[in-house]
Amino acid sequence: MTTRILTGNGALARGALRAGVKVVTGYPGTPSTGVLSALLDMDLFERHVEWSINEKVALEIAAGAAWAGKKAMCTMKMSGLNVAYDSLISLAYSGVNGALVVYVADDPGVSAGMAEQDSRGFAIMADLPMFEASSVQQAYQLAQVAFELSKKVGGIVFLRLVASVANAVAAIEVEESLPPEPRGPILERNIAKYTKAGSAICMAQHRNAISRLEQAAQIIDEMKINRLELSSNTGGLGIVTVGVVDAYLEEAYEIGSRYGFSRDDVSLLHVVTTSPFPTSSVRTLLGHCGTILVLEELEPYMEKGIYLEAQRTGYTGQIVGKINGPLSRVGEYDVTHVLRGIDAALGLGIPEKRLEKSTAAEKLAAKRPITVCAGCPHRGTYMAINQAVQNLKLNKDEVMVTGDIGCTILGMNPPFGTVWSEVSMGASVSLAQGYVYGEVTTPVIATIGDSTFFHAGIPGLLNAIQHQTPLTLIIMDNGWTSMTGMQVNPGTDKTFQRPGERRIDLAQVIPGLGVDQFFIIDPYDLKGATSIIEECLTLPGVKVVLSRRECAIQAMRRGKRAGRVRVIPDKCVLCKQCIIVTGCPALSIGESSVSIDPALCNGCSLCCAVCPTGALTKEEV
Amino acid sequence: MTYDIYLVGVGGQGVLTLGDLIVRAAINKGIAVNFFPTKGMAQRGGFVKAELRLGRTPVGPHIQEKGAQLVIAMECSEALKGVRYAQPGGDFLLYGHVWEPTAVMLGETAYPSLESVLEAIRGSNAQLIYVDPKELPKIDGGYVATNIFVLGAVFGNTRLGEVLNADKMAEVVQARWPRRAEHNVAAFDAGLRVRGTP
Repeated sequence: MTTRILTGNGALARGALRAGVKVVTGYPGTPSTGVLSALLDMDLFERHVEWSINEKVALEIAAGAAWAGKKAMCTMKMSGLNVAYDSLISLAYSGVNGALVVYVADDPGVSAGMAEQDSRGFAIMADLPMFEASSVQQAYQLAQVAFELSKKVGGIVFLRLVASVANAVAAIEVEESLPPEPRGPILERNIAKYTKAGSAICMAQHRNAISRLEQAAQIIDEMKINRLELSSNTGGLGIVTVGVVDAYLEEAYEIGSRYGFSRDDVSLLHVVTTSPFPTSSVRTLLGHCGTILVLEELEPYMEKGIYLEAQRTGYTGQIVGKINGPLSRVGEYDVTHVLRGIDAALGLGIPEKRLEKSTAAEKLAAKRPITVCAGCPHRGTYMAINQAVQNLKLNKDEVMVTGDIGCTILGMNPPFGTVWSEVSMGASVSLAQGYVYGEVTTPVIATIGDSTFFHAGIPGLLNAIQHQTPLTLIIMDNGWTSMTGMQVNPGTDKTFQRPGERRIDLAQVIPGLGVDQFFIIDPYDLKGATSIIEECLTLPGVKVVLSRRECAIQAMRRGKRAGRVRVIPDKCVLCKQCIIVTGCPALSIGESSVSIDPALCNGCSLCCAVCPTGALTKEEV
Repeated sequence: MTYDIYLVGVGGQGVLTLGDLIVRAAINKGIAVNFFPTKGMAQRGGFVKAELRLGRTPVGPHIQEKGAQLVIAMECSEALKGVRYAQPGGDFLLYGHVWEPTAVMLGETAYPSLESVLEAIRGSNAQLIYVDPKELPKIDGGYVATNIFVLGAVFGNTRLGEVLNADKMAEVVQARWPRRAEHNVAAFDAGLRVRGTP
């Protein structure tokens, strides 16, 4: 045993190594990214770890390895699970040979943008077990249990963390990694298991999936993974907690005691597996307690199951949670929510003021909309789109620019106001086609990043080419999957690809797809970029513009800068045009001229391009 | 002993690193730690917060309102987002750096006055310790690392010094960046010597 300082994601990665995982795949997405990046940072022997092109591909690779008898894991954020789900349902029917663990990170409170998706619902829908850790240490342990269970029942097992566990840091005890089993691959020809050939096979597989879940429920019961603690007296309060909410109980008890709360008659069921539903524990709790309080973030999956068991057992007490009112399906829980629940269940009369958030002070804080970094090449692309629209004497409010996932979406914010929408990976390309058929007569533009284009943008573009839908697709290629913390993608420079792997150059791929017009622009060259986008907006057919320049953060990390911009104070008239148009964080207003933070400035010189008095000048480095 | 610390600032100031250093010092002392940083999406210039909870097992990642014995704010306006977490009678250290968002520079939106920020902090009934950014010293012609200086100021001015030892904290700082050890310890010591104002 050694003590290590790890995040929840790091702990989960260590747990998988301890379980002897052989193949790990995933696609980056906050808050799940840390598992695979932790593994890639290690010098791993005899294991395959990769960032795959998207979550569906990642899952299929992991499943193939598991079908070949190996232990495999696939990681993704909640949105990624939606991408992978088509294959997941099918795989859930078939089951696996080795072991297959699917890690999904949810984000109640949406700290990293997208949705408050409660992925427990997917586990329920697919008849799969799902373990949820409430601490960093438990993430380490449950990862091992998940592999063990997957192997035992021959089916997929989910692991779920919420953001506040996935990204929390703690010191935990870990054991040595174990190597993958040295056994060779299994090649099993079995139509009834590995295909969906006919209703008989499919329904048999469905039956098998259900029985695997029942078997898992039995094993989980025997292992006492869901913790039941009954009070000595019957008729008291029974609290059901799911995941991290459990960790707030002690604090809530302490605060509640000031309002007459006593823990003496409180029983507890801490739920690690909403699926399979812990039926026997719930029945025991119902038989023991007069009132039930259900504390779970997001959807009332446990709560609904408890209502069902209450009906079946003739339970007559009250069930307090979301369905009868006091708790919310929206947002992340903390100790206040636990208190609110206890207060509602026991009628303690805790003053409402104690349970409300006091936001008066933070309302005075200056608004700080996120924008692109100093030197970000996307800045040049947004500026060029805006300028092209203006040059064509079009009204900006009549030119649809669909947006996509990742840093490229920041063009929605001031000062650019370029991008209109954000849906899902790759959606910009197909949404744009819908606008065309929705009879928009002005030019329609779609924007997307490189990694997003590889992930799910290519089918949309092929569709546009086949149907000859007139639009301009601008791929903002900065060479990295940036927003999730700089992962390598198929287009990343070959220097950063792993040994033996190959870079895929979009400049070669796109012309091969058969687009009518293909251009490459440098987003640091505002004039050149503007003129090409302008031309595209007047041409018929499918036009693709590859706006290419490396992410400035990554370039700067290697000491690579485009130049150095200096202010000539005598020429600066403080018109602020540079700040108004670029919004660059390296620029600020000094006493008699604008000033540039040399540590931030990458020398992109986009500010020089918009300075009307020539007060900003670029020096080569 | 339980001790909760709420940290706020702007991405790029080293707020999360500051928290991480305290984490290491606490773990060295055998104190249970849970540290939950929340970055915005921007690499720099976005709101950053972190919740650091010492001495609790089990531990929920979030600090309750009025629960933090110590709030460390590294930016004036963002300090306002820490106010509701300050425990009455606890410590609130504000390093009064002003990082204006672009919209403020353009006069499109207001930036709170220092006085209104200090007033809001005092309103929480926490002990205000204001450290003027003018106190940030230079070594060899360049400013020292702000977050290490602020960390020193925290140890010199708040009750965290009763939970963790300042010398041990300095050792952690030294060990983290061996090549900049001398420079960083000087920054830490300068912070230790600074006297914040109420």
